[in-house]
Amino acid sequence: MPYLLSKNSNPTPSCEPREGVCVSNVSIARGGRIVIENLSLSLVEKRIALVGLNGSGKSTLVRALNGLISPIKGKVCIHGVDAVKSPKAAARMVGFVFQNPDHQIIFPTVAEDIAFGLRQAGISKSTTRAQAKALLREYDCEEWADRPISELSEGQKHLVCILSVLIMEPEVLVLDEPFSSLDIAVRTNLLSRLKHLRQQIILINHDLDVFDSFDRMIWLKDGRVEADGLPESITPLYRKHAMEVAGRLTPESL
Amino acid sequence: MISTYISGDSWLHRLPAGWKLIGLCIFTMVLFPVESPAIAASGFLAALALFTVVGREGYRRLLALRSVLYLLVFLLIFHVLAGTLTSGIVAVFRLMTMVVLATLVTFTTRMEDMLDALNPVLTPLNFIGISSRRIALAIALVIRFTPFLIALADELGSAFKARTGKRGGVRLTAPFAVLALRTADHVSDALAARGGADGFDNIDEVGEGNTPNDQ
Repeated sequence: MPYLLSKNSNPTPSCEPREGVCVSNVSIARGGRIVIENLSLSLVEKRIALVGLNGSGKSTLVRALNGLISPIKGKVCIHGVDAVKSPKAAARMVGFVFQNPDHQIIFPTVAEDIAFGLRQAGISKSTTRAQAKALLREYDCEEWADRPISELSEGQKHLVCILSVLIMEPEVLVLDEPFSSLDIAVRTNLLSRLKHLRQQIILINHDLDVFDSFDRMIWLKDGRVEADGLPESITPLYRKHAMEVAGRLTPESL
Repeated sequence: MISTYISGDSWLHRLPAGWKLIGLCIFTMVLFPVESPAIAASGFLAALALFTVVGREGYRRLLALRSVLYLLVFLLIFHVLAGTLTSGIVAVFRLMTMVVLATLVTFTTRMEDMLDALNPVLTPLNFIGISSRRIALAIALVIRFTPFLIALADELGSAFKARTGKRGGVRLTAPFAVLALRTADHVSDALAARGGADGFDNIDEVGEGNTPNDQ
């Protein structure tokens, strides 16, 4: 990339370690209920899978990484930035891709939305537009620049979401069930694009097949780490647990 | 689904947003004192002719505004009852001209450019403690989410019809409001994830009075 962003132009509270994501003794409450209790994790692997049944605290945990949610206790450190003390600096480090593109895309046309993050960092319109177009060119979709978001397909919208985040050159990319509305072909294509990125990736997904080449899988249950290791060793355990739960589920607990 | 921008490379697309807004302003002022229906009508025809820059697609989308016609019919009836038919006709042409021109400006201006053009106009708000940046962003969001909300309302209408065979009408107002608010919630999260309404310029310091600066 021919440009450089001054991520640390303002003094921000720093913390150790300077590499990766570090969560220490974190407790998070949502709606008056403790969702995550005393969780500690050190995330340095490049491709990390986060799995767990609904309500296990996955979404809550990743939202604490970029300051969308503040923990009631503990410390979150993203590449040396304290996410609790300076959520905006953390948001700058952690690119967040949401489940539904219609909830993430803010501007009416493609290039504007991709450029938005850079403009938020105070960079001029002509520069950000040129960068947005360059990124689109890199992904062979330069002609999308002025296309209205409402005319894109679901898969194209997802790609725009990813590009809008990538343009800010984050260190970590967090994706919260990003592909649930896509067909297998589009999903596979987007996933292979993700796998080639230099960024550290933390991916939440219910379809476990996507985690094939991942370096680590963390299984959350009731806000705690139930198991943590290589996907090939965790997947069978998690799948077995999910099947057991499936057999026990009552309409009350669906 | 409708959208508020038609991509293209016409002279109107290239004209800076500020000039378009000023042009719209001047045209309104010129049209205001007109009393002859013939002149008002030719103003309208001129506006329609200008629409050729966005091609057939532009005219097609203009048809989506036909609900405005009801309003105009009411206005005309009011004038007929008041015995001022001529000024009624002039008023109707004037309004139609303004709607067509404003639509044309919307169709040919990117949101970003519109915001930059509006920003100086909104700057005085800063003096009374309202962030012009926030207002500008709010305008962008309204324009971006209008098509989305229309689609949402359609979906809700189909869901209602699928189970009752009837049109939902006003009964769907409350559920629609709930869905719209939920969408707003999601968007505020998305906005926060990209620096919030105030951007990354002023990286924040949360904490009780202590501003750590050990960088």
